[in-house]
Amino acid sequence: MRIKTKHYFLLTLRVGLGLVFIYAGILKIRDPIAFAGSVAAYKLLPYFLNYLVAATIPWVEAACGLFLIVGFRVRAVAGITAAMNILFIFLLASTIVRGLDIDCGCFRQGGAKTSAWIAIMRDIVFLATALILFTEQKERRFSYR
Amino acid sequence: MKEKSKKLFFEMTVIVLLAAITGIAWNHRLLRDAYTGKYAIAKTPPEISTTTGAEMMPVGLMQVKDLFDRKEAVFVDARENSVFSQAHIANALSLPLANVDSALPMFQQKVPYSSILILYCSGYGCHDSKDLGKKLQTKGYQQILIFEGGFPEWQSAGFPIEGADL
Repeated sequence: MRIKTKHYFLLTLRVGLGLVFIYAGILKIRDPIAFAGSVAAYKLLPYFLNYLVAATIPWVEAACGLFLIVGFRVRAVAGITAAMNILFIFLLASTIVRGLDIDCGCFRQGGAKTSAWIAIMRDIVFLATALILFTEQKERRFSYR
Repeated sequence: MKEKSKKLFFEMTVIVLLAAITGIAWNHRLLRDAYTGKYAIAKTPPEISTTTGAEMMPVGLMQVKDLFDRKEAVFVDARENSVFSQAHIANALSLPLANVDSALPMFQQKVPYSSILILYCSGYGCHDSKDLGKKLQTKGYQQILIFEGGFPEWQSAGFPIEGADL
């Protein structure tokens, strides 16, 4: 019974995190120029690199989301999502330190602004989820857990 | 154990690289245009377009300043009228997204369809200029550049501005 509970718990985490990442990725893939603007608002990269990040990161997010949902290379993908969330948390913290009042650009570009603190809290939840999957998931090419 | 970690790291690298390459391939035109700062200038008179298929080019601060100095483009401010009257890029026209439908006929009389338009609003994170660009595309304007840094970037660079608050 305990094993079964753990099985469903991990399955829920995996699919849930996968849906979040695929959603975040697709929204940005659809509007790379707007996402480039969101990246540029962090004022960390030169002009062109904002576009390069906007062209690539959403695809990494979407790929991670897809692989998590289908259960392909879950440990590797969980590792990538954890690393990305650590990076996002640092970037968001930097906006607070530098006094930048910007939208995090995490999901839908434009529209209502999400504060950096809320985005950090959210990313901590995603990071914890990714770390659980990373440590608990057994090595298998495809996971049915 | 070390082998397993190596394998895991290799898998992570491959996944990230493949996804990034797909992203670069998908966005290669946008990246090329952002890198070169190129924008398409139509040789023939624009036809009235009913779609928003043509890409609106992003344009950086220095390119915008270059076009400003050469007086080759019309600057269009997509912000609210009240904000525009406080301060705006010198010689810019006001076309707020909020009342674009009522202001458009006057704008169309004043600005030829062959003009290069530089649309801006309140900087990164503001999407009014892009939404306005889509609207203007459907009306037949084809040479639309989006200055995403907008008024804040122009002002902080110390470039010419005008308005009631100055």
